[in-house]
Amino acid sequence: MVYAIETQGLVKSYGALTAVDHLDLTVATGSIYALLGPNGAGKTTAVEILEGIRTLSRGRARVLGEDVANDYARVRSRIGALPQDFEPFDRLSPLETVLYWSRLFGRSLSRPDAVRLLEAVGLQERMGVPALRLSGGEKRKLGMAIALVPEPELLFLDEPTTGLDPSARREVWQLVRGVRKEGRTVLLTTHYLDEAEQLADDVGILHRGRLVAEGRPEELIARNAGRTLIVLGGAGAAGLREVEAEGFPARLDREDVLVPVADPTEMRAALGRLAALRTPFADMYTRRSSLEDVFLQIVGSRMEEGVLQA
Amino acid sequence: MREILADTIAFGRQYLRSPIGAFFAFIFPVLLILLFGAIFSGIGTSKVSLPVQDQDATPASRAFLDLLNRSPYVTVTMVPTDANLSDYIRANSLDVALEIPSGFGTAAAAKVPFNLTLFGDPSRTTYTQAANVVGAALVQTNFVLNGAQPVLGISARPIVSSSFTYMDYFLPGIVGMTVMTSSLYSMTSIAAEYRTRRYFKLLATTPLTKGGWLSAKIAFYFLLMVASLLVTLAVGVAAWQMHATLTAVPFALIAAGVVLFTSLGMLIGSVVKDPSSGIAIANAVGFPMMFLSGSFFQIEAMPGYLQTVARVLPLTYLNDGLRNAMIYGNSTLALTDLGIVSVLAVAVFFLAARLVSWKGR
Repeated sequence: MVYAIETQGLVKSYGALTAVDHLDLTVATGSIYALLGPNGAGKTTAVEILEGIRTLSRGRARVLGEDVANDYARVRSRIGALPQDFEPFDRLSPLETVLYWSRLFGRSLSRPDAVRLLEAVGLQERMGVPALRLSGGEKRKLGMAIALVPEPELLFLDEPTTGLDPSARREVWQLVRGVRKEGRTVLLTTHYLDEAEQLADDVGILHRGRLVAEGRPEELIARNAGRTLIVLGGAGAAGLREVEAEGFPARLDREDVLVPVADPTEMRAALGRLAALRTPFADMYTRRSSLEDVFLQIVGSRMEEGVLQA
Repeated sequence: MREILADTIAFGRQYLRSPIGAFFAFIFPVLLILLFGAIFSGIGTSKVSLPVQDQDATPASRAFLDLLNRSPYVTVTMVPTDANLSDYIRANSLDVALEIPSGFGTAAAAKVPFNLTLFGDPSRTTYTQAANVVGAALVQTNFVLNGAQPVLGISARPIVSSSFTYMDYFLPGIVGMTVMTSSLYSMTSIAAEYRTRRYFKLLATTPLTKGGWLSAKIAFYFLLMVASLLVTLAVGVAAWQMHATLTAVPFALIAAGVVLFTSLGMLIGSVVKDPSSGIAIANAVGFPMMFLSGSFFQIEAMPGYLQTVARVLPLTYLNDGLRNAMIYGNSTLALTDLGIVSVLAVAVFFLAARLVSWKGR
């Protein structure tokens, strides 16, 4: 398999703090890889090293076949990047920004080409207004547009939908899927578990600088959370103890007890046994496991807006 | 009433916490009082140099030189008697020089009218100061020779152009100051903004290099400054009948000045906390330079210690070079000034391109 990104033992440390800890990552060409983790997990640091704008402390990293520490100049024009904290140039309009960016990459887009690109990201109505007057979502779309200007083989999107409303998020997802359809590779970071599940071919969960789990979303779910969960609403710690005493693998999510059932043929029997528990619970239902359950299983906490919950 | 007081306090707190607010409220007036006070209060020795060519070489001329030497306002230096004084003045960009023509001693003894020749640029304050000292010495000599009846006098011989005025002197200073303020101030603020708003990081993901980015800014400011020079000159000529000669040297000086001050702005902007702190620091660097580098006042008219300070300020050489090229037509000195500014410009450019990092650590 050809990899767009390969890292081996990648380490980034700041004194005693290790932001990225022995990261081994492979991103297949033409795929979407989501690096998932809470704020401060090391996602942006790792991506910035791979974008060639941050130095690494130890280990090796190759992007599009070139060593990031020494040969980045050779791939610079083949990548596109949307930084986490992207801010457009206030006094340039989206159209001017796209044309400016194309010249930086030596592409010199024509005006109709630039307009087409802005139409693709849904900014055609606002292409002439100064960026200062764009909304947060529109600024993000402009960031996507300039990341796409060099027609990159590899696109880095650092938290592309943070702060966007649900409809703007879906529009960005559509764009990202479109990029993959064209055969390009996308590495995105996110703390939205549903975003990773919706978009990514492969997911890596980064926690405290370490890659704690990696794989296709459905594999991760099957491996770590079971395909289906039985939820005992409000059963609490007493319920958990009783379920475990019955021989089920289970975990507590706030006051709910989650019981993963890997084999669907065992579902009916499991429901029957759990319904007979002595511990009272408010309700009992089944649902499909998600990456959220995987994350809870592996990290031990839920994540909301990038923050780990106690 | 309470809400107005609360708002006044809150606003005052924010204003004073802003570096730029504190700069203009406190540091700027203090700087002005110190600078102007130092320039105009006569602190220190404010001697001007008075080169003298004594073609007479008699006891009478030597006595007159002694009299000049006793003045606390001039330092007499001797010019070789075989030098052509006009050429000597031009070659050394002197503001003033005195010739004691042969026959001075004889005329003084015979009490017949006789004139010394004062060469120089009457638009310069150093010329005026030297002329006053020579005049006072002549009054004293006349008094000794012939009571109140004047025998010896001064004949002025302007050496640049009889029509040069203070405004002609002023024009290159304004151009130099504009090069410094436009490049330094805006670049400091832009570099700080690019860093704090992470534009540098964004640009680092493109094929544009740091040196390329800085070069683009330099190219822009050079074109801006050339346009500014032409507009300033046109206004000066139309409104004040200014005189200036435009050759390639002033443009080369402007280019070197833009490289120097743009790079300096990038250096400052890359270390300050935010754009407003950058402006405050640029002001703290730029204001003293503006007033001490001969943009508005002749350096020679300043107290000695300020002249020493002025000689280490890069704007001094830019202003001097522009004056030598545009007003005095002294290309040798203008090229020397250009050399000094260029060396500094190249050094600061490479320092900025090397030290400023637009990537993350």
